[in-house]
Amino acid sequence: MALRVLGLSHHTAPVEVRERFVFNAAEVTAALRRLRAAGAAQEAVLLSTCNRTELYLHLPEGAEATPALELLAEHARMPAEEASRFMYRYDERRGVEHLFRVVSSLDSLVLGEAQIQGQVRAAYERALGAGGEGDDRVVGPVLSRLFQHALSVGGKVRSETHLGVGAASVPAAAVELARKIFGSLKGLEVAVLGAGEMSELSLEALMGDGARGTVIATRTEERARAMAERQNARTARFADLDRLLRDVRVIVCATAAPHAVLTRELMDRLLPGGPRNPLLIVDIALPRDVEPAVGDIDNIFLYDLDDLRQIVDQNLEKRQQEIPKAERIVGAAVEEFWTWYAAREVVPLIRALRDRAELTRQAEVERMLRRLKHLAPEDRDAIDALTRQLLNKVLHAPTSRLREAAANGRALQVLETARYLFQLDAPEPHAPEEPE
Amino acid sequence: MINVLLSLAAALYAGTAAILIASLVGARRFVPSVGAGMTAAAVAAQTAALALYTAQTRELPLVGMAPALCTLAYLLGGFLLPATVFKDTRPLALVLAPLAAVLLVVAMVLGVRPAGEPMAFSGWWLGLHILLGFVGYVCLAVAFAAGLFYLLQFRELKEKRFGRLFRFIPPLAVLDRVGRIALQIGFPALTLNLALGWAWTVRFRNSLFIENPQVVWGILSWTVFVAALVAGTGGAGRGRRSALVSVFGFLVVVVAYLLWVGPTGGQLFHVGV
Repeated sequence: MALRVLGLSHHTAPVEVRERFVFNAAEVTAALRRLRAAGAAQEAVLLSTCNRTELYLHLPEGAEATPALELLAEHARMPAEEASRFMYRYDERRGVEHLFRVVSSLDSLVLGEAQIQGQVRAAYERALGAGGEGDDRVVGPVLSRLFQHALSVGGKVRSETHLGVGAASVPAAAVELARKIFGSLKGLEVAVLGAGEMSELSLEALMGDGARGTVIATRTEERARAMAERQNARTARFADLDRLLRDVRVIVCATAAPHAVLTRELMDRLLPGGPRNPLLIVDIALPRDVEPAVGDIDNIFLYDLDDLRQIVDQNLEKRQQEIPKAERIVGAAVEEFWTWYAAREVVPLIRALRDRAELTRQAEVERMLRRLKHLAPEDRDAIDALTRQLLNKVLHAPTSRLREAAANGRALQVLETARYLFQLDAPEPHAPEEPE
Repeated sequence: MINVLLSLAAALYAGTAAILIASLVGARRFVPSVGAGMTAAAVAAQTAALALYTAQTRELPLVGMAPALCTLAYLLGGFLLPATVFKDTRPLALVLAPLAAVLLVVAMVLGVRPAGEPMAFSGWWLGLHILLGFVGYVCLAVAFAAGLFYLLQFRELKEKRFGRLFRFIPPLAVLDRVGRIALQIGFPALTLNLALGWAWTVRFRNSLFIENPQVVWGILSWTVFVAALVAGTGGAGRGRRSALVSVFGFLVVVVAYLLWVGPTGGQLFHVGV
């Protein structure tokens, strides 16, 4: 049996290649069933996100991952040879380490991003749901254990390090600023000017923290209405700004206007003497939507794209400092999983060794006792106990060493040697004939 | 034994402050919660010290400069403890914990023993009068800490500096709320403190006692409360105005005591005949 990871990510493939390898939920299920039905893998999990597509396989002894590669290439409508140029392959322990690093977001495009853990969980659950019962299962004991372990590692890295702390995107930085001014965003009125992608992402981030949103239409009301509907927000017209400013505490400006939309003159007119409560204005438009002089008004906090990037860069720098701590957690978890996995490989051999030795012992004791018929039953029991104890003592060292060697990644080499030395590949011994 | 316990409490407050300084200097995102445990231990040590003092001297530690400072530090610890429990208010201990430590050290330098003054003004009147005064001044200290951080965070936000202070100091809204609550508790407490003292003086001495520096100082402190509360109401920038008044008001109260009331031989509260 072998563990293998086959895939591509932002490290090895450009976006135009990655997008061809993206699988939707139904395609994932179909692909996993196909792999299982073809006997190309004992167990399989397919992880497909916008930044990576990876197949985690538990392969039968001596099997190659070629069918899996062909399946991925076929999905991307690309010759397997060309697809393999963008692929990486990690075997055994390296594969385990890769998954643990992925789920901990150490391998992500944005270090410490939170989504990957949910994506890995979804991939695992999809694989669990893809198979049938018994031998038809797509996920068995090995990948189940691997993914459950991985998810717990991901959780541990998030809770024990600051790898996921601090805003790592412009909308998240806007939320961080809002929190520094207002504490909690729960029930806070926020408004976005413009109905573009950045407006929507910012509104989503703010409302995700409990704020109540309004989309202010600047040009087409239809787009604003559609966005408001998607985000469960309200809509308003730009002419209503006067009324809105009484309650709104955060305004995100992201229009495509070629000139400033919120001017100092307008704000002075709408808020004579400045706002009663702090007002946060986040201007993420280019060219800027808000005149810089608006930031001079007392109680108005104005930030543009450069300011938000400054926060993001600082946070990413802080996250970088957490990498060694996260790597240590991953390393310990790999060790723990590998000990279990390797011991699992060695268990049948140890069982065979013990069975073989026990059979021999029983046969020899029986033969000896047939000769010593004069012995009392308690003496016969003592001989039986003595030989059993002797056997256990003799087998203790090789058993421990086998487990150790397997855990240290030398399983294959040591298993073969052990099989040879203890003749475990030969037929089982029969009880020796009673000599005439 | 009393001094040992008070020294332990002072050291624990200093330790809490040191942890917060390390957190600020290290630009850590989260202020560690270990400060809450240390503050709790400090309050426990103070409780034991003050109980021992009461048992040994058969009087509450309210009269005499050193015992009064100990009680003031004790109440400050009592306010500090919940502040260190909550993540958002924990950084306030950076101001309040050293203040408590300084009060304890000054008290120990002066010598924690009964003042030995004959008191005309005694019984529960005295206890309530002094206790209300202590609550008022502790609240003013909390409002000062919140106000100071408010002004610093406001400056960081306005000048777009997202460094250590920005990360360390709590959000403006939290500081505004803490300052307001402190003023709302402290103002009635100090008002009652003054009213009780004055009522007694007018009733039994037929005098307004206005020439006494301590009384004037009490009125000054009360005026600071009024000004801070008024500044926190109304139009634009009320949070910052209230913070400014709290900070400068507290400094004026402390400086007035050190330069004026203290040198005239005054107690923290007027209790003598």
